[in-house]
Amino acid sequence: MTTAAQPRPDAARVARWFHALADETRIQIVEMLSHKERCVCELEQVLELAQSKLSFHLKVLKESGLITDRREGRWMFYGLQRDTLDQIAAYTKSVKPGKHAGSCAVACCD
Amino acid sequence: MSRRYWFRAAKWQAAHGNTRIRPGWPTWPHPLPVHIAHVGQWYHAMSDPTRLAILEFLSQRERCVGELQQVMDAAQSSVSYHLKVLRESGLVREHREGRRKYFGLRADTLEYMAQFPHVIGPGKHTGTCPLTCCREPLTYQENLIRYRP
Repeated sequence: MTTAAQPRPDAARVARWFHALADETRIQIVEMLSHKERCVCELEQVLELAQSKLSFHLKVLKESGLITDRREGRWMFYGLQRDTLDQIAAYTKSVKPGKHAGSCAVACCD
Repeated sequence: MSRRYWFRAAKWQAAHGNTRIRPGWPTWPHPLPVHIAHVGQWYHAMSDPTRLAILEFLSQRERCVGELQQVMDAAQSSVSYHLKVLRESGLVREHREGRRKYFGLRADTLEYMAQFPHVIGPGKHTGTCPLTCCREPLTYQENLIRYRP
């Protein structure tokens, strides 16, 4: 109910969310983060990627607002952001047949 | 999957090997679990503002290319390209009535897409976890059922 009251996110922001989820490596990262918060060292070990590549993917995910980071001593821990995931789900639900999402530019609609 | 899909997938695979993913058209067999390729493909199709506008417009009712072209104010070739990407990722279906093709949304794929953010929510333990701290991994079949395209 709270998501319905929120203003509709603009297209560029929505496109950024979906762009962040459009890569297989990033989906694997997100799946690993759904277990619990992870540090870069664990991700690096499991995905067998160079640290530079991993940092790039994490940057894309962070800029789109899907994950947050938390510094603990020397390590950065990454976790999922629940708000953004809820907004993505709300947006995807609003785009369904017969839902009349957005504004209708053609006069045939009620 | 149509015969055309398998034919094109086999052709792509023969030419390029199965190591790389072409956007909007997954190779088969895929090096990763198939659900990840499909999920990536859905989100790739929705990662463009023009395609999002098309999807929002199609959520009202089925439309033909002419109407889309008029509303998007874009060339017919670009509208057709975006529709091709959307159709190949399984978000849009088309049917022909006379000379016109009508495009509509596929509710089943959008349903799976709407579930995905909940499936990967924090603390949900999605997929297989290769680290020993977590519970037993899901099997391949369970993953397939979970993310069926």
